[in-house]
Amino acid sequence: MSLKGFIIRRTIYIVPVMLGITLMNFTLINVSPGDPVVVRLGLIHCDHDDCYNAAYNGEAIEMGLLDSDYYTVPWFNRYIDFVNDLLHFDLGNSWYYTQAGEGVPISQIISERAIYTVVLNVLSFFFSLLLATAIGVVSATRQNSFWDRSLTVAMLLGYSMPLFWLAKLLMLLSFQLFNFTGVANKDAFRKPLFLNPTFYKYLILPTLALTLGGLVFMARLVRSQLLEILRQDYITTAKAKGLDNRAVIYKHAFRNGLLPIVTIIGNSLPGLLAGSVMIESVFGWPGLGTVFLEGALFRDYPMMMATNTIFPLLFLVARLLTDITYVFIDPRIKY
Amino acid sequence: MATAEQEQSTEFLLDEKTLREIETMKGAGQWSIVWRRIKKDKMGMLGLYIVIFLILMAFASWIILGFDNWLTHQGALLGDPSNPASLNNLYIELWLPGMPADSPLVLFQHPRHHFPELAKLPPSFAHPFGTDGIGHDMVSRIFFGATVSLALGFIGQMTTVIIGTFLGSIAGFYGGFIDEVLQRIIEILYSMPGFILMIFIIVLFEDVNIPGGRYAVVVIFFSLIGWGGTALIVRSNFFSLKHQDFVEAERALGASDMRIIFKHILPNSLAPLIIIVTLGIANTIFLFAALAFFGFGDPNAVSWGDDLNKWQNDLLDYPWMPMFPALFIFFTVLGFNLLGDALRDALDPRLKD
Repeated sequence: MSLKGFIIRRTIYIVPVMLGITLMNFTLINVSPGDPVVVRLGLIHCDHDDCYNAAYNGEAIEMGLLDSDYYTVPWFNRYIDFVNDLLHFDLGNSWYYTQAGEGVPISQIISERAIYTVVLNVLSFFFSLLLATAIGVVSATRQNSFWDRSLTVAMLLGYSMPLFWLAKLLMLLSFQLFNFTGVANKDAFRKPLFLNPTFYKYLILPTLALTLGGLVFMARLVRSQLLEILRQDYITTAKAKGLDNRAVIYKHAFRNGLLPIVTIIGNSLPGLLAGSVMIESVFGWPGLGTVFLEGALFRDYPMMMATNTIFPLLFLVARLLTDITYVFIDPRIKY
Repeated sequence: MATAEQEQSTEFLLDEKTLREIETMKGAGQWSIVWRRIKKDKMGMLGLYIVIFLILMAFASWIILGFDNWLTHQGALLGDPSNPASLNNLYIELWLPGMPADSPLVLFQHPRHHFPELAKLPPSFAHPFGTDGIGHDMVSRIFFGATVSLALGFIGQMTTVIIGTFLGSIAGFYGGFIDEVLQRIIEILYSMPGFILMIFIIVLFEDVNIPGGRYAVVVIFFSLIGWGGTALIVRSNFFSLKHQDFVEAERALGASDMRIIFKHILPNSLAPLIIIVTLGIANTIFLFAALAFFGFGDPNAVSWGDDLNKWQNDLLDYPWMPMFPALFIFFTVLGFNLLGDALRDALDPRLKD
């Protein structure tokens, strides 16, 4: 089969998994106690039951829980409606983010906020990958040296440190040193974003925190993978034929170590995403993570449903890319 | 014939160190070998000490807080159990022989009793970790918070491992349709970041009234969604073991499937399970602390994560308030990670760096 066929097959494979995920989220919302209509109505002023009932029914019809004849809509019909809306990129209106009494369309919120999350995550992913490779190579090639030992201990300490607390400590440190906490404010996000120097100033600390979070995780993997490969026979052969150390490590060992590392990084993306939610919340970074957390804290059901569809989708796409990367890294892989 | 010769020749190539190791291991059972290996690992022993210390702390605080009336009856604590305003509802105190009976040495305040006039005190001799924003003694909050923080990690991880082992063994042993279904379910569960899925669930189910409060809901759902990793590992172990000779022999003797699964294959895949549990407890404690930190815990519970959540914004002004709960979460995760790494090296030396 061709590479194109493989990619198409893998892309189509995302569909049933996404259906399963949305079905799970949908079922969870449906079996959960509490009436979403009551949550949605909140405190309304009603003198009579009739007024309340009318408001309740109106709201329920608008939410799609009742049809126009006040009959309960079966949940699978609502699920089909939801999937149908999803395919038209209609994620509904938010309950928490409102503008002039109307809920803001969630797709609008997400398209506005996604850029912040993408900038933060791509930058820190890039830095942590770079640093993790450097640290892993240094540790593995000088095994049991002073550098290896101290780096390993540092990685272990960082690995055991809760990420949100690492972010808080960075905040404290920066406050002591520069009197700057890094908590984002409105100035930082004035448009045009990329020409705004304040934006970059406020980008530093979240990026640093998220980089450290990913770094401690990846550096351990790179080190152990490289160590395993450096013990292989072909490395001995390469050394024996007189290649210099650099060529042995980068041309022979590192390329072969890439495959497992790519796998694990691809599988650890949900963790990185969760890390991004934590970091964004700590620094008040207005990305998707903050939107999700605020939506959850204020029981914004449509928003939670939307973010819970988008995060797995991002993860599945990332894994698809991982699988495609394999083919380029390792010519032995058949697809 | 040739392979037998090769094996012979490799045996002679073993270096002196390995030979000495073999000599000391001769006649020892598997677990004593593992124990010897852990004892050699300094970091692993450090992890073990941390874990033992924390478990003892959690047990002690659970007993003192849960049975303080009983302990007072026994004379281990001072106070009048029939009088709710008695001292022992406010303090955990120690009376040493020779001290006046009415002013015992106050070891810990009661974790739920706070003195507004003692709020926001920095660490001192009377309050080694300081006091928090409404006058709780931080030492007592840390000491008594150990129960919930550790128990959640233990119970959550044990239930996921039990569910995962059970489903993984069934899938791995029978294969076929069950295996396919299970794999698809795991795929769906694994596409969701656990932290985000847990928040989603907690928000939906925070009104459920079951004994144990909100943390019971958290643990139940955590074990319902978290078993995928264990199940996959157990399943692959079963796949590699189920066609081995000892299983075939047992089958020829007429053993039932359940006997083969639980008496023969499962004990052989115990090593990865132990590693999963130890490293998993660290991750679970971290997850629950993170949930609590972002406001999805139980604000009425005495636990490190919830204290951290309450005082996180006081970090710049009163750093000791959030610092000590965070430090203890860090130590716990560190201890279990160190122990788990050591166990992995000891149980499966091939993985050792």
